[in-house]
Amino acid sequence: MARERQMAVAGSNRKTTQADRDWLARKARQVRATCVQMAHDGREGHLSSSMSCVDVLVALYYRWLRISPDQPGDPGRDRFILSKGHGCASLYAVLADRGFFPKAWLDLYARNDTPLGNHSCIHALPVLEWSAGSLGHGLGVACGMLYGLRLDQNPARAVVLLGDGECNEGSVWESATFAAAHRLDRLVAIVDENGIQAVGRSKELMGHTSLEEKFRAFGWYARCIDGNDIQEVLQALEELPIGQGRPCALIARTVGAAGVRFMEDQVLWHYRVPSEEDLARALEELGELPIHKEQGS
Amino acid sequence: MRKAFADSLLNLAAGNSRIIFLTGDLGFQVFDEFHARFGSRYINAGIAEAQMVCAAAGLAKEGWRPLVYSIASFATGRAFEQIRVNIAYPHLPVVVVGAGGGYTYASSGVTHHAAEDLALMSLLPGMTVVAPGDAHEVTELLPQLLQLGGPSYIRIGRYGEATYQADAPVELGRARLLRPGEQVALISTGDLASVTLQAARQLGAEGIHPVVYQMHTVKPLDTATLDELVGRVETLIVVEEHGPLGGLATAVGTWRAARREAPRVVRLGPPDALALGSLDRETLRHRWEYDADAIAQACRAAWSGRERG
Repeated sequence: MARERQMAVAGSNRKTTQADRDWLARKARQVRATCVQMAHDGREGHLSSSMSCVDVLVALYYRWLRISPDQPGDPGRDRFILSKGHGCASLYAVLADRGFFPKAWLDLYARNDTPLGNHSCIHALPVLEWSAGSLGHGLGVACGMLYGLRLDQNPARAVVLLGDGECNEGSVWESATFAAAHRLDRLVAIVDENGIQAVGRSKELMGHTSLEEKFRAFGWYARCIDGNDIQEVLQALEELPIGQGRPCALIARTVGAAGVRFMEDQVLWHYRVPSEEDLARALEELGELPIHKEQGS
Repeated sequence: MRKAFADSLLNLAAGNSRIIFLTGDLGFQVFDEFHARFGSRYINAGIAEAQMVCAAAGLAKEGWRPLVYSIASFATGRAFEQIRVNIAYPHLPVVVVGAGGGYTYASSGVTHHAAEDLALMSLLPGMTVVAPGDAHEVTELLPQLLQLGGPSYIRIGRYGEATYQADAPVELGRARLLRPGEQVALISTGDLASVTLQAARQLGAEGIHPVVYQMHTVKPLDTATLDELVGRVETLIVVEEHGPLGGLATAVGTWRAARREAPRVVRLGPPDALALGSLDRETLRHRWEYDADAIAQACRAAWSGRERG
């Protein structure tokens, strides 16, 4: 209720139409279908992590980030770092769909000599801002980028997508301290709080503490949102107090492997590779074809 | 060396507006002038080496030339994974500065000992690793490191290190001839160069004249100079203040192993052991037999061994 009031006061400049909402929702289903297909074909799991953050990625890449596939190296572009590198399948799907590389490359996911490794690598795919795989690095790197950009009077923003499990790493909190100390107010950390880690539940491993409260205690603006509601994610992004002295965190509450009911919220689907039958079931439920399997793709 | 580093950094930063300096809350008063002159290009990252290295990587990605500074054991050990993942992996031009290398902080205890730093940094692909011997070598090497397109590590000392004269220029990647000689080669790295020269002077009075090289560059190893020594000397005595694995002696030993004919390699330096007991540095070097007397003794043994043969 409190949040709704706040939104009403803040108001929204966003004019959404039903067609726009439907388009984004469909896009998210297509990206999820792509993830399941890639996991199946590449024999590489991590579906729980790659699918929980699809709605956040769709909101960012189709609406909020200032980026262009025509000028991927534009100095003024927003920087996006996927710090939870194991969730990269959905990022690949979104980047391919936005035209940053050919959709056909999605078939190469997790193969030998691939541009699309099962953890993202800038040598293999230079259009990425950063490599990932080891956790607890992306936020600190983004701090350095923004510090340097600010010295150059470059108004670009940086968004870092972290996992909630990743926040076990102490280095995340070194970065949170640095960002607040240096008032990196164009930094946006989005925590994909799907509650699932490799072999356990995040809440138990964090002692049932609140990430939102932690970021606030570190001097950040912080807000919890439903990370599987694209409209809510977009609303929250637009209401971020960018440029107002504090770094910003969105704690995006999500469901592991969101969008495919039989996979949702199970530690099992952190690593499991979908079978032929799983794939068919998932695609049927999503009602969409993978991005690289559509006609004309 | 720390003063030479700070002065050299000031000069370089005045000529290159992309140079940016990060410290892990160390160097009290040493970098005051840099801070005063360059403002935001000085960053105290706090006691957070991991964050300092990550921030440097991000800065390098945006076209800056960062140097990160901490005590050698923390700079290389505490932030090793950050250096590996964020600097070596993307091959970014960040200079990691380890102050108080080796047993500079001998009496501060094991936490402050840096006898693994050269090994840790040498392990990383694409990393250039240097250990200058005196203030002059720091001043000469630093601008060369900043010319590199990739990462580097420089081990420096603290203050008051002995200086020495040599005609040979300080050229990154090249062993520096400190004293001509024959039959035995003394090869030092880091601030043991002056200790090695001291030994050579003692020996000179006895009619023993080893050739002395300072290998300030540990990686890439100057194999060309080593190759030239084949046939000219019978023994290479490598002097290092570093654990026996992964330092200069290991590198020279690896070079030696690949050759049919090559000089015998003798290593002088700390053993594979913790330096307990809060010893001062001179005592440590004496007990572990790599001070000037021990170097001279090893050289005499190699020299007389040759005469007996």
